Amino acid sequence: MDVLIQIVASGLTLGAMYAVATIGLSLVYGSLNMLNMAHGAILTLGGYICYAAIVHAGLHPVLALLAAALVCALVGLLIYFSAALPLLRAENFETNIFIATIGIGSVIENLMLKGFGPYPIPQPLAVDGQVVIGNVHIPLQNVFILGVAIVLMAAVAILLQRTSTGRAIRATSMNREAAQLMGVRVGRVYAQVLALSGALAAVSGIMISSIATLTPVMGGDPMLKAFIVCVVAGLGNVYGAVIAAIALGLLEAATQYVLGVRWSFATLLLLVILVLIWRPYGLFGKQQVVRL
Amino acid sequence: MTSTRRDILIGVVCLALAIALPLVMPGRYIITQSTLFFIWAIIVVQWNLVLGIGGIFSLAQMALFATGAYATAMLGFYWKMPMLAAIPMAGVVSVAVGMLIGLACLRLRGPYVALLTLAIAQVMYVLIVNDTDCFTTTGGCMPLFGGVRGIGQFGDIGLRALFPSKWYIAHYYVGLALLAVAVTISIVVIRGPLGLAFRALRDNHGYAMSRGISRFKYQLWIFAVSAFFTGIAGGFYAVHFRVVGPTVFSFSTLLFLIAMIVIGGLGSIWGPLLGAAVLMLADEGMRELSDYRNIGLGLLLAVFVIAWPNGLNGWLQRSRAGRD
Repeated sequence: MDVLIQIVASGLTLGAMYAVATIGLSLVYGSLNMLNMAHGAILTLGGYICYAAIVHAGLHPVLALLAAALVCALVGLLIYFSAALPLLRAENFETNIFIATIGIGSVIENLMLKGFGPYPIPQPLAVDGQVVIGNVHIPLQNVFILGVAIVLMAAVAILLQRTSTGRAIRATSMNREAAQLMGVRVGRVYAQVLALSGALAAVSGIMISSIATLTPVMGGDPMLKAFIVCVVAGLGNVYGAVIAAIALGLLEAATQYVLGVRWSFATLLLLVILVLIWRPYGLFGKQQVVRL
Repeated sequence: MTSTRRDILIGVVCLALAIALPLVMPGRYIITQSTLFFIWAIIVVQWNLVLGIGGIFSLAQMALFATGAYATAMLGFYWKMPMLAAIPMAGVVSVAVGMLIGLACLRLRGPYVALLTLAIAQVMYVLIVNDTDCFTTTGGCMPLFGGVRGIGQFGDIGLRALFPSKWYIAHYYVGLALLAVAVTISIVVIRGPLGLAFRALRDNHGYAMSRGISRFKYQLWIFAVSAFFTGIAGGFYAVHFRVVGPTVFSFSTLLFLIAMIVIGGLGSIWGPLLGAAVLMLADEGMRELSDYRNIGLGLLLAVFVIAWPNGLNGWLQRSRAGRD
């Protein structure tokens, strides 16, 4: 029983972090058909900005979190104006933006390497204390992460369902041309989505670095997992991505316990491949019928 | 001049220049760097077949290269297989792994393939690096795949013994010969039936399919062909450096090679080679600023994709078309 509580607790924390990292990616793919390979670097940048704001500028942690989200949102905008906008006018957008964001990600990552050094730094935004359920001690940090993630996901859901901005985003991802014909300014939607995705990446970077440590390369692994989550759910399906993220978090915690940390990623990947052979468009994705 | 003749002419001229290089500039540094260039160029030329001709967005090429290198090292280390047999075997092993990866992902759409192949390479890396159980204890603890330190002492192709002081020049010619074969194969593929099938699929997907051109079958073929030479390049890399470690999976190498293809010109015959040469030279130039190397590479990659998506090759072709 205690083992089960332990697995569920750490699985939910992992899942919540993956979900926040994934929502941004999924929104961007849904509306632009763009795989943002710089997402991992933006996520790391968020962690470092938060660290710098607290340690060097002496800001209050909440302000630091907001500052990180703001900076990363600006980076998202920068990517839109410098890369996505010119590439959208040419052909082969999906391939080209993928390669371009690999380059941009590498630039951001290596700038952080220059600025903050290669050594791991602890994230100062952390909560002490623990909650006891049965015989299991759960760090308050994990509960905090879960709470922030739920609040953020609720905020994104409200944004998508209840506001006109959200309606425009949903319309664009359903059918770009139709949305454009109905007067949705698609360019503005793209910019908003990339900024939002940057801000969400910053928060997830802070969360991830608060239970691990800050290093310039820490974003790669969560980004890959976020992509896997997107792929399993069906690229661009935001709500499916949240469910898949939490499921994969729980699964990862369980495989870590049963098989050891070494095998958890390999097992995850094997499952993903099997899922994709069974449903090539993801669990929640709709098969696109191509008419000739 | 037909395009095939032009390709032969360019190929012969390049080959002649490359054969003459050690006679003109016998410096060891230049020769070993050129050998490294040959290895990267083989991978890039084969990767271009998958990426540019096949239109398969696979990032598994470095994993196939690593498979070739590891297969060579392990065949030599565990079974004491002579390297001249182990390297072709490594090519076969790479084809087998490549076919498996291909079967797992070729039914998927573009971006799904990229993510899945990237994830597969990452899993291979993680499994090798995190392996700490001793597989053999002869000469210290060693995990099955060598762990973080990698595998060494698995033999040689014999050129070091044959030319004790000039072995690096001998390796240069081996690398050049392998590259020449790899480029020839790539020209045959691009100009031959496989290339034709892919062009048909790209130009009119529905018509090509209704004429019985199976995308899946041809994609698997091109995957296998390119895996073979990539694996052999991996084997040669292993023999040349005498050690194979997990660094062959590094993301910065992947970035370096994909930048070569993009900057040279995706899908063209000579573009990737040109890109490889340009980037090797640029890399030499940036050696002084080693910290900024990856920043420069990333910027180059992004700028080229955004401003000149057809690479240097496209630019050359445009300027030639402008003159005519």
